[in-house]
Amino acid sequence: MSRVYLASVTKHYGQTIAVHEFNLDVPDGEFITLLGPSGCGKTTTLRMVAGLIEPTSGHIYFDEQDVTYLPPPVRNIGFVFQTPALFPHLSVADNIAFGLSVKGEKKEKIQGRVDQMLALVNLRDYGKRMPAQLSGGQQQRVALARVLATDPRVLLFDEPLSALDKNLRDTLKYSILDLQRKTHKTAIYVTHDQSEAFAISDRIVVMNAGRIEQIGTQTDIYLHPQTPFVAEFIGANNSLIGKITRVDGPEDARRIAVKADGLTLYSQGQTIFNEGDDVLAYIRPENIIVLNDSEGAGYENIVEGVIDRVIFEGATAQLRVDVAGREFRADVSGNQRLTLIQRQGKVRLGFNDVTLIPAPKDVST
Amino acid sequence: MSRVFNSRRLGDIFSHVYIWVCLIIFVTPFLALLGYSFTGPQGSYAIQNFQYVFGSFRNNLVWSFKISVLTLLIDLLVALPASYALVRYPLRGKQILFSALTLPLYVPGAVIGIALVLTYNFTYHLTTSIWGLVLAMAVGTFPLMLTPLVVALKDLPIVFEEAAQCLGATKWQTYWKVVFPLIGPGISAGLLLSFIIVFNEYLVTLFVHPPGLTTAPLRVFNLVRTAGLLPTTAALAVTMQLISFVAVLAFFRIFGTRYLKGTYLI
Repeated sequence: MSRVYLASVTKHYGQTIAVHEFNLDVPDGEFITLLGPSGCGKTTTLRMVAGLIEPTSGHIYFDEQDVTYLPPPVRNIGFVFQTPALFPHLSVADNIAFGLSVKGEKKEKIQGRVDQMLALVNLRDYGKRMPAQLSGGQQQRVALARVLATDPRVLLFDEPLSALDKNLRDTLKYSILDLQRKTHKTAIYVTHDQSEAFAISDRIVVMNAGRIEQIGTQTDIYLHPQTPFVAEFIGANNSLIGKITRVDGPEDARRIAVKADGLTLYSQGQTIFNEGDDVLAYIRPENIIVLNDSEGAGYENIVEGVIDRVIFEGATAQLRVDVAGREFRADVSGNQRLTLIQRQGKVRLGFNDVTLIPAPKDVST
Repeated sequence: MSRVFNSRRLGDIFSHVYIWVCLIIFVTPFLALLGYSFTGPQGSYAIQNFQYVFGSFRNNLVWSFKISVLTLLIDLLVALPASYALVRYPLRGKQILFSALTLPLYVPGAVIGIALVLTYNFTYHLTTSIWGLVLAMAVGTFPLMLTPLVVALKDLPIVFEEAAQCLGATKWQTYWKVVFPLIGPGISAGLLLSFIIVFNEYLVTLFVHPPGLTTAPLRVFNLVRTAGLLPTTAALAVTMQLISFVAVLAFFRIFGTRYLKGTYLI
């Protein structure tokens, strides 16, 4: 149980910057996830917290203790790897006992702790088995038990479920969360899987190219992305490049007009933008409603287009619509998805929420 | 249809004959030696030849064992850290270093012998003690010990060592409790190969052996050279053959089943 604090942690590999000026404060007992595409530096960051990699600069603290240059064995961490990495020559019980036995604990104490851990991960009768005799999911549970046996200050997870099949991933991610809640450990979890991150995190750190893009709760990063990367990486989004043409209305409920790709879109609410600002406008596919001819009232924006393609995905149907030469994606659920399968030709789309993000300097209208 | 059957049958017969011919070619010399080792006076059958092996030749066998054990110990003590450094640490010119370390493999025994006499005699004066011979053997068999270890370490995912460290194991604990057991097949393969070479080596021994120390292979060589091929010498040769054979057999019994199945991989 520790607060983990990373201060300007940076890692260079020659000319390559793996992690740049990483600042993160993880309070005691929080479950935080580092989310990003492969090569974004999330695993490097985690391995620096573990001590497996030394940072080029910056500091890492567990509570008040500076652990930046401490080797892993003295940090008292629990690291769960992508593969279970159970020692194949030791039985399940000996694997769980490993951390305690290298610290020279007494036999009776180790035995008690091993039994307790086996019970915790629901593998009570498996102590005598060898790792090769367990399934992938059971092996990863033993790996969890092995890590928890030493009562670590921090739990670190490096994509622990990526080697397992989908159903197992779904059940095991909640087991991980349960165990973290039961043991009240601070946990840092690395994944590239959004649904995993959304299911188990208290907060999510979205990373890209070695930098933090945004830190926030699930709703923060989904509903209020702060950078183009987050808007495009989290979920799906229709993106348009535009310019603010007008801002009016009262202070806390501005009506903002954006001219983007030949369309004029309206967004409402507080805003930091002024007329003439370059922006990126994002519309979530699931927020777009396919309108019948008579409908239309209550929607801030209504656009017309021609259906390109309908992709039936089971729970939803994806509609690809050509709007003034630009492809819009709309996700339709419920009964409407079934009636849309056969539909062709013109269609009207209505939506209210348009997320505006300042355009990066290299993007212009 | 019958043609297909016939040609198949012919192929079958041919491959059987081929295998048997190979077997006879390879095994006959050993059978001949075995038969000869039991030959007594006037062509009678004699077990005395083998009593001779454990009487008069006993010292030679003991020397061979002593030299083998000491050589294997030195090989292992040097090769374990060397292989670990070669595989796990970023060294400059790794390939060149590895080639240099395995050089004795490609150098004829006589050349090694002369080189060692030169260096040991004039530099270390080691030829008067057993250590000159042991070091010479260690140099010659080092590549055989090193190569299987390097291969085993390369095959061992580094995640096991990282897991051990994160669980609180020191470097030493990681080596003893995780790395060495997991490269066990490599260690035993290296020991087996080196043992068979050291135990049976006569050429290098001929050059660097101290006076009065005669290993079993050297004794066989000396006897054949001075007295011709006697049944008692053949008995000694057969005994050496059996010892090597038992070593190989034991290796495959112990490690063949446990490790060759691949249970130690993730």
